[in-house]
Amino acid sequence: MSITEKILCSKTHEYILENSDKTYTIGLTDYAVDQLGDIVFLELPEADTEYKKGETFATIESVKAASEIYMPISGKIIEVNNEIADSPEILNEDSYEKGWLVKVEMTGNETELSDLMEYEDYKEELE
Amino acid sequence: MTKETFLHDKHIALGAKMVDFAGWHMPVQYTSIIEEHKTVRENVGLFDVSHMGEVFVSGKDSLEFLNKIVPQDISKLTYEKAVYCQLTNKKGALVDDLIIYKLGLLEYMIICNAARIDEDLNWMVRNSKGLDVKIDNQSHNYSLLAIQGPKAAELLQNMGLNTNQNSFTIRPAKVAGIKLLASRTGYTGEDGFELLVENEYSEELFDKILEYGKPFGIKPIGLGARDTLRLEAALHLYGNDLDENTTPIEAGLSWSVPKDKTADYNGKEVIMSQIKNGVVKKLVGLQMLDKNIARHGYDVYYKGEKIGIITSGGISPILNSNIALAYVKNIEEICTDSIVQVMIREKLHDAKIVKRPFVTKRNIVKTK
Repeated sequence: MSITEKILCSKTHEYILENSDKTYTIGLTDYAVDQLGDIVFLELPEADTEYKKGETFATIESVKAASEIYMPISGKIIEVNNEIADSPEILNEDSYEKGWLVKVEMTGNETELSDLMEYEDYKEELE
Repeated sequence: MTKETFLHDKHIALGAKMVDFAGWHMPVQYTSIIEEHKTVRENVGLFDVSHMGEVFVSGKDSLEFLNKIVPQDISKLTYEKAVYCQLTNKKGALVDDLIIYKLGLLEYMIICNAARIDEDLNWMVRNSKGLDVKIDNQSHNYSLLAIQGPKAAELLQNMGLNTNQNSFTIRPAKVAGIKLLASRTGYTGEDGFELLVENEYSEELFDKILEYGKPFGIKPIGLGARDTLRLEAALHLYGNDLDENTTPIEAGLSWSVPKDKTADYNGKEVIMSQIKNGVVKKLVGLQMLDKNIARHGYDVYYKGEKIGIITSGGISPILNSNIALAYVKNIEEICTDSIVQVMIREKLHDAKIVKRPFVTKRNIVKTK
């Protein structure tokens, strides 16, 4: 099963991936990264901070502009991918395995997942 | 309706990401802005800048007319020479910035910004009342290709151009058998040429330059890298760093404004007074001291007080740090090496005032 078969995507191009320990990995879809072009800067949140679904939790900058990244679900940050803060260009190569942003513990309930889409549907929505 | 250059289909075929810019559907990047940027600094790049405006000025009073609309002394502009100018309003501020070329006796060409062509034409027509001058907008008939980078001259030489041509000159020439006007100008801080060609030959010229350019590592370059290149060279972008409330003196363009021009021009009184008495705001270059990126519109602080605003900001792929142009209060203690702060997402980040250009021109043309 490829990673895109396991993720759920938001309309604002974030994805979530459920891990075996019930935490979720959050990142940006390959489509989002491709649209942004060269990624040159990332501002990531601190561990232990909590965000509600839809809140800005990080900022990503391409050569051209800065964009906000929104929480696809409510959650508490338990791990931050510091490697990408030092080398944001990793996202251009792979925004899933190496270029994930944060891992969270879900704090809301599962109804929050209802507006997230399977990758195939997300791609279709883009067309 | 969005306009397309005659090379539009070429850009699509090359896989360019297209954006709307000043009413034109233009390539912003083909592969990667950073990669394209480095190609121009290290080798040579090809830009389609056909969206820019070309206005021909002729007639008995053309010199008098041009002298009235720019602070530069056009009476000193000789045959086949070019000069960087500002189209000023009555307040001495900029309607646009442009290059004026002298093509012949009482014959001039103006190359101006795509986004400003309508305003420029209106202003020029208003200023031509009572003068025997023909203002002829030919933008729709010409394509403009820029070949920029340290290998630009050698490449064009291989294509039959006599590159024994000074910076800021223009002359009729042939490149790969195609008749055009070759100007040794650009907007990258590198050596290079801009080729003005009739639309019907633009595709052939574009293809041939890419073909001849292969051994030089040529790449087509989008507007994204055009912006990062001009920023490193600290070249102003109208709409960002220049506007209808900013004079050339405030913009740090005093070097281009003669002090001894006898002819009167729009805003002369203001400009002369600013040269003599100084200005309230001034343009400075900033280098960020951390990894944060200053962007257009961010505020600049000094000792807790807001003292200015970023007009252009971004990355410098060559310096590997982040740079910006800002207008700040013109006080003595805010000068080169001063540390100021830029407000980025509600936090202050240190930046140092540095000399412009950020990246020095490494390929100055010295043919005489």
